[in-house]
Amino acid sequence: MSEALTLEPTETGAGRRFSNQAPDASGALVSFDDVTRYFGRGRSRRAVLRGLDLQVGAGTAVCISGGNGAGKTTLLRLATGILAPNAGRVIIDDIGTDERWRELHRRLGFLSAGDRGLYARLSVHGHLAFWAALAFLPRKERKRLVEEALVRFGLCDLAKRRADRLSLGQRQRLRLALTMLHRPKVLLLDEPRSSLDAEGLKILGSSVGEVLARGGAVLWCSPLGEEQPVSFERILLLADGKLSPA
Amino acid sequence: MIVWIQYLEAALATVRRDASIYLSYRLRFASQILAMVFTLTIFFYVSKLVRPDAVGHHGQYYQFVVVGIVTLAILEAALTISQLVRLELVAGNFERLVISPFGPVAGAMSMAAFPIGFAMLFAVIMLAVAAGVFGLPVHVGGIPLALVVAGLGGVTFAAIGLLFVSALIAYKSAMGATWVMAALGLIGGIYFPISLFPGWIRWAADVQPLTPAVDLLRHALVGTPSMQAKWVELLKLGGFAAVLMPVAGMTLWQAVKISRRRGTLMEY
Repeated sequence: MSEALTLEPTETGAGRRFSNQAPDASGALVSFDDVTRYFGRGRSRRAVLRGLDLQVGAGTAVCISGGNGAGKTTLLRLATGILAPNAGRVIIDDIGTDERWRELHRRLGFLSAGDRGLYARLSVHGHLAFWAALAFLPRKERKRLVEEALVRFGLCDLAKRRADRLSLGQRQRLRLALTMLHRPKVLLLDEPRSSLDAEGLKILGSSVGEVLARGGAVLWCSPLGEEQPVSFERILLLADGKLSPA
Repeated sequence: MIVWIQYLEAALATVRRDASIYLSYRLRFASQILAMVFTLTIFFYVSKLVRPDAVGHHGQYYQFVVVGIVTLAILEAALTISQLVRLELVAGNFERLVISPFGPVAGAMSMAAFPIGFAMLFAVIMLAVAAGVFGLPVHVGGIPLALVVAGLGGVTFAAIGLLFVSALIAYKSAMGATWVMAALGLIGGIYFPISLFPGWIRWAADVQPLTPAVDLLRHALVGTPSMQAKWVELLKLGGFAAVLMPVAGMTLWQAVKISRRRGTLMEY
């Protein structure tokens, strides 16, 4: 297991607080207010999240841990707007997830769990160039940001290689590069350390640190008992649709 | 940067991506050309069996059916968009589109551009081969009108394809695309003139966009007499494009909203 990287404590991130509230909840970049989400209909309807509250402030990383099926991915998908809450509100940097889609997603970087979301026959560089356009990065900056991402995520030698010819760890590095290419203010990571080697974990830790250093927020979800390459302001346990201190 | 330029650039990036993936299969284009030559040859000989006065002037069935086939191929390309979106859902790529500033609606719309644009390019190649090898008399003077019709037809067919994408996103199935294409091929007069239909069903030719599109293209490219005045058919086609595309965009957005609420947006 790699050595855990320690992030510099920030004004809002100093010390671990066993609460779902950010130190200054009014300035939270990520805010879940009494959020409930069901799946299924009729008798098969089950609540995955029940009246969940969570605030993540600027410069803060929060880890949500939980067993399989606890609702971690649901929580992150609610933050991206892929899912709508049945009750309550999710607000990202003062934008509700059901409004101003373009502005909301300029601020968000989302890494889904697993190794999907890549085009098998598209090159590493092709993926980054495509995402740069989709993320509405200014044309003049695209080339530079793509080059920077290739360097930062150790993908320079793989730039021309097709995604289906990458190892799982290399795929994960590319997925991380895509997630962070547009310099999101809020980072939502679902099991981000999947398949990464020690070098990859180090890159992940430093990239998360960069987001926090520029005043961003990170919501990190991982299974129970997994050692993490970053230190968090809070580690919360998601069980029975509710968050509690881990 | 002006917002619409960002959308345009993202759409162009989508076209580049699709072209790059298409070109990565090196034999695909050669195989399509081969299939096209076989089709042209089959209909060249079939046209010799058709009664000479069946279409327009003496012996015009070959040009009639070739233009019909290329038009149907463009419609077919548009109706495959729902399959492409399904593939994106299965591969987990649609999620990336959804969480981008470009968004799911513009993303799905831009996914229609490459297949339809490629089908149009392929139509030009097919007409050129038919002209060069089988003596199809293409009217060069009719090309400007044909381009206008192709543009309006492309938008209209894309809108129909996007309605199927909406169905796919909302209900996880767009199985109607196959029979809709077969039905449009039948009532649109692709393989035979609509005048052969019994009177009670001819109205069907007037309530869908394939008939004016194919009729105008035939008139412009190979000089087949048109069924109605050119401007009437252009107006019809333009009307279909102007109405169907906004409807498709709104339907798609509603489908996304519904599946966000149900929690099925990423299901397939």
